[in-house]
Amino acid sequence: MALDIRDLSYKLERFELSSINETIPTGQITAIVGRNGSGKSTLLRMISRITKPDNGLILYEGQPGKAYSRNQFARMVSMLGQDKGQIPDITVRELVALGRAPHQSSFRSRLTSNDEQAIKWAISTVGIAHNEDRMFHTLSGGEQQKARIAMALAQESRILLLDEPTTYLDMSHQLELMEMLRRLNQKLGLTIVMVLHDLQQAAAFSDHIIAMESGRIVASGAPKSVIDQHFMLNVFGVIAKIDLQGEYPVIVPIPQHFKEETSMVIVTNVSQITKGNGEKLIERFNKVGKVEGMKGFLGLEVMMTENTKDYDEVTVSTRWESKEDFQAWTRSEAFRESHSHREIPDYIISNKIAFYDVKVVRQPLQQAEPQSV
Amino acid sequence: MNVKTRNKRRRWMAFAAIPLLLAAMLYGVGSGSVQISVVEIWRVLFGEGEAVHETIIWNIRLPRVLVGLLTGACLAASGALLQGVMRNPLADPGIVGVSAGGGLAAVIALVLFPQFSYMLPGFAFIGALVASLVIYVLAWDGGSSPVKIVLAGIAVNALLGGIMNGIMVLNSDRIQSVIPWLAGGLSGRSWPHLEFLLPYAIVGLGLVPFAAKTSNLLMLGDQSAQSLGQHVERQRFLIIALASLLAGAAVSVAGLIGFVGLIVPHAVRLALGEDYRYLLPFSMVGGAILLVVADTAARSWFDPLELPAGVLLACIGAPFFLMLLKKRRLIR
Repeated sequence: MALDIRDLSYKLERFELSSINETIPTGQITAIVGRNGSGKSTLLRMISRITKPDNGLILYEGQPGKAYSRNQFARMVSMLGQDKGQIPDITVRELVALGRAPHQSSFRSRLTSNDEQAIKWAISTVGIAHNEDRMFHTLSGGEQQKARIAMALAQESRILLLDEPTTYLDMSHQLELMEMLRRLNQKLGLTIVMVLHDLQQAAAFSDHIIAMESGRIVASGAPKSVIDQHFMLNVFGVIAKIDLQGEYPVIVPIPQHFKEETSMVIVTNVSQITKGNGEKLIERFNKVGKVEGMKGFLGLEVMMTENTKDYDEVTVSTRWESKEDFQAWTRSEAFRESHSHREIPDYIISNKIAFYDVKVVRQPLQQAEPQSV
Repeated sequence: MNVKTRNKRRRWMAFAAIPLLLAAMLYGVGSGSVQISVVEIWRVLFGEGEAVHETIIWNIRLPRVLVGLLTGACLAASGALLQGVMRNPLADPGIVGVSAGGGLAAVIALVLFPQFSYMLPGFAFIGALVASLVIYVLAWDGGSSPVKIVLAGIAVNALLGGIMNGIMVLNSDRIQSVIPWLAGGLSGRSWPHLEFLLPYAIVGLGLVPFAAKTSNLLMLGDQSAQSLGQHVERQRFLIIALASLLAGAAVSVAGLIGFVGLIVPHAVRLALGEDYRYLLPFSMVGGAILLVVADTAARSWFDPLELPAGVLLACIGAPFFLMLLKKRRLIR
């Protein structure tokens, strides 16, 4: 095992990572996936020893991180973060040469022939030899990413960690990059661990998937065995169909027509009525009318309960976009007209009005029809 | 910038640096209220010149030029280091409070303990170092972020400046010795100053080349530097300490001279690129040249009046800096 993660935990304010136990296989591509904020990048940073865990241990090729000097560690594990805003105004080759730092003493940066070879190899592996004398900042986003990867490769480490290496790249560059990583993995047996946003990409290019949800590992294993409908719902909260026809699982999300969260006001008017007179009241309500035209009016239901011994119950429920809309209705001409000059009929025993401020968290589920692709 | 132009410039500068430095020295030794020709300077150096010239050169101008060289080199190197380690183009010993720390310590020494004034560079170094430590601690939050360091530095700078002024107002009868020092310049600096500056400057400037590789790596950002095997916090601390030593040494003899630490590294960066292996040595040479030339111009242009070099630097430096800013983007 390249990495053996034992009982790792970490807490920062409200974010918590706990009981992380996982082994990462040598010579394979491992993808860490999960929703935003699930702790993927934090886990990767702890593996790279940039973030210190509160508890737990990571064994690197059988030894805890502390057993290695900083340079030894950097010769074993290289890490390419997400942030690329810091690169100084130097050429691609000069940038890649900085990747040799762990192989040099602290003060000397003169390159040995070993260094030269490693730099040349790294540059040609990612395919930017034609750009090696260009200033880094004059390159396109995709080329810049390649240059940064070349720097990490020049480190000649056995384990390569990448944090969302394909973000900001267009599709062809994404594919090119993933295929290059695949080649490196196959040719050199390089162990690659990367955080990926795109689950489909992870399914296509990794041998091992670690899925995280709310700071925990919820699933891990080969993509084919791990990714199923249940997994999609648990980890990503997405209802999807998994197509296993090809080499790897193809994820087909099924649209759910989720509406955004809305709120409304429900006003209920419950009247208890002497037995048998319910219909009279309903008839009365029918004459009121005009409420349908009011601003913010969402709907109206009139319900009658006849199943008690002593009285019938008529409930009128109106739904409004806001309390103000309801109040506007009570102040309107139409309302006054319908309520003035009328005595409360004697068949009404009691009457109760209630307001409810409610949040609509989900619209009624529509029939999810599996769509063919 | 094109890499070929840049590399060509680097080669040219490597050849030109020493002659330019000598030319600046000749200008410094030769100009003033009494003009001395190059030939005469040559004679004086070999003991064949006129007695008056000999006195002027040996007792006044040569030590002053040498003090200028060392101070300029220290300030520029300090600025270059701070800009790299704080990853902020505004970092300069004068702006982020390092010089102010040295200055305050020096004022305390000059005003309150004049009997120890021979230890001025030591005081200034300790003051600068304490100021940087305070800045560092203030900016610490499980790691030190460059932006926080600069903000804390600016606040510390204001505080120290206030205390310095307070001390001077409360001791207004004793600040005669402080005023010329405070204005920033090389007026009246001679062999004794060179003598007590020299050990600090030699140690400081001698250590600068060792900071080049680390500075390059730190520029990549903390995470990348750490992934490349660097002990980021320790390296950053050591570099800040070195910058404090350099700034303290400069402040102790030349007072508060601004702009050298800001302009020179930026000019070098624009001309020769951001690689610290070039940036640091050329900044030292550039700082030395700039300060000597500015000081010489300040005292000879307005003869018989003598302007402090700091004043001239600010008057020429600020517009020059703005021009650079306009011409190229310093901040990405």
